[in-house]
Amino acid sequence: MARPSPSRSPGMPGRPGEPVQGAGARPDPTRMRLALGVGGIAALSALITAIAVPPTPLVATLVNTPTEPPLVSQQRPITYVQLTPGQTPPPGATVIDAKAPKPITIVTKVPAPAQRTVVVRTTQSGKVIP
Amino acid sequence: MISVERPARASRDSRYPESAPIVPLTAATTAMGGRLVVHLDARADDERANRDARRALARIGRWADRLSRHREQSELTALNADARGLVPVGPTLAAALWAAQEAARDSEGLVDITLLDARLAAEGLTCAEIAGEAPRIWSLASGPRRTAVVSRPAGVRFDLGGVAKGWLADRALGLLSGWPGAVVDADGDLALRCRAGATWAVAVDDPRTDGATLAILHLSAPAAGWSAQWGVATSGTSIHRWRRGAIVGHHLIDPRTGAPARTDVVQATVVCGSALRAEALAKTAVIAGSRDGLALLERAGVKGAVILTESGETLALPQTLSLLAG
Repeated sequence: MARPSPSRSPGMPGRPGEPVQGAGARPDPTRMRLALGVGGIAALSALITAIAVPPTPLVATLVNTPTEPPLVSQQRPITYVQLTPGQTPPPGATVIDAKAPKPITIVTKVPAPAQRTVVVRTTQSGKVIP
Repeated sequence: MISVERPARASRDSRYPESAPIVPLTAATTAMGGRLVVHLDARADDERANRDARRALARIGRWADRLSRHREQSELTALNADARGLVPVGPTLAAALWAAQEAARDSEGLVDITLLDARLAAEGLTCAEIAGEAPRIWSLASGPRRTAVVSRPAGVRFDLGGVAKGWLADRALGLLSGWPGAVVDADGDLALRCRAGATWAVAVDDPRTDGATLAILHLSAPAAGWSAQWGVATSGTSIHRWRRGAIVGHHLIDPRTGAPARTDVVQATVVCGSALRAEALAKTAVIAGSRDGLALLERAGVKGAVILTESGETLALPQTLSLLAG
């Protein structure tokens, strides 16, 4: 059963072109109820989804161009094994003498001294400075 | 005799850049068979600089006299002549001997002050048997009022040599603590302090040519900061060198062999925090040879090193480049 439309005050002018309802007429609530129902279902759905599916971080999708290799860095761990007397290294293994000094970088191109005022001089002991 | 000179200059002129190398007031004398020089970054108050420099030289000269093996009245000569196994020594010699133990640790055992007889034997000044395979382990125990007691096997004699020079340079710089810019040159071993914003330009002697320079090290203290302190020392085989028949010898004895070190290094210069340490590590680099020596200097964390090899190659650790660039 249709409910009566809300009534407009008697004597109140209607909008131009709008049929003037009679006394006691009320707006039809069906559209509002439909909108509220759909909205509620959507909110419930979103809530259920958020609970059921754990949030995942935002991931930027990397698209590799065909000319570039994938940007993947792979590090191979080096395993050092101390050989006991009598043991032999596996084939292809690099053998490092445990007593060998650590490799260091040495600069061999030392810049030529600039012509600047110098009064302090380091020498071997016994060197006579004129 | 102490001489003082003040080179003509305009370095305090306002047009002269602050980062330019310092041209100091210089006072010099001789001690331990070499030069002993004080450079002060002196401003207008030269009077005070003169007085302080002379005072420091006189005091260091007295200390040096106690530590020299060439002086009959020195404390070191008395210790070497003492036949006892336990010998008490005065504060100055005690401090130098503590420094020698520090140098032995820094050099991983290659700086050894018990090699006097090995050196004399290498020079042909004493018989080789005296410098034989006798144990040379010695120790030091603290005594009252900064004295100490030396314990050593019978017959072991000490030569402080470069250890004493490095120690003296550091001590002299300490005496000049009122000067933010000062250098003490103990026969080529330098202890330096630089005021903020200034630079000491230190020439590394090229042993191949008289008066030539192998490199120039620029030691600067940041403008916005405190004064900075370094030790720079050079050791090598080209000055104290001799020939006995077909054999060429030098004064740097390898404690592992008891003979002059067989090395490819002609000269090594090291920059680090103190002159004592720089001296010990420079000598170590020569004795160990270029490969092992540079590796040891790297392990020791030096601030810079320049090495000249027999083949004429000049080698440097990478951290040296910033000092060389100025």
